[in-house]
Amino acid sequence: MKLGVFYSELRGNHDVLFRLKAEKLGIFLVSNGIYHAIIKEKGEPSPVLQKQGADYYVLSEDLQTRGFSTDEVDSNVKVVTYSDIADHIMNDYDKLAWL
Amino acid sequence: MSNKILFVVQRPPYKSENPKLAITHAMSCYTADMHIDEEVEPTLAYVGDGVLNCIKDQKAEEIYGIVSTDQHLKIQLTGDMKILVCKEDMERLGIQEERLVDGRDLGADMDLNVVTFEEILKEMDEGCDHLMFF
Repeated sequence: MKLGVFYSELRGNHDVLFRLKAEKLGIFLVSNGIYHAIIKEKGEPSPVLQKQGADYYVLSEDLQTRGFSTDEVDSNVKVVTYSDIADHIMNDYDKLAWL
Repeated sequence: MSNKILFVVQRPPYKSENPKLAITHAMSCYTADMHIDEEVEPTLAYVGDGVLNCIKDQKAEEIYGIVSTDQHLKIQLTGDMKILVCKEDMERLGIQEERLVDGRDLGADMDLNVVTFEEILKEMDEGCDHLMFF
């Protein structure tokens, strides 16, 4: 399965995310999920970024909406636009989940 | 004698309407007819993940066509509303003071007040008549 996951909470339940298995897994940080790409709580990167083998993306528009710039994003996360996300959904993933 | 209301915001901006409701309710204290017989003094306090509301340069207006939370906060500062931001939560989330909203460009004389959680607790206990959590 090629699975794209939308993650939109700052304080979500990470447990489900870590139990997901897919041959290709993309995690799209949108809405309040963008904080995982930025905030280093107590100096540590977000645990959401620790999923082995996943590709991470963060929505540029939602970053800027909340007062952050793309150069603050964790190096493991790729900054994408709405248009990029649409392309990923159509071309790279055959199933989608919203956590 | 004024009636003091403390609005405490504990959630980050935009995903839920609660943080914005806190600001608009606080704003309405100055104008709403419901307080016609009494003077109301609102204070906003940002704690927990709520401190993320106070980041400056939010682009919600340009991107989503809605008034950004930082713009709302600037307007409150120009109206001399007291706004408290929890120091410990800023440190926990790695937010420096220079990242916070500044209303000086709109003519505000006040800045956000970065204070300890203990001081916010004191405001809850002694500084207000009514407490509202958002």
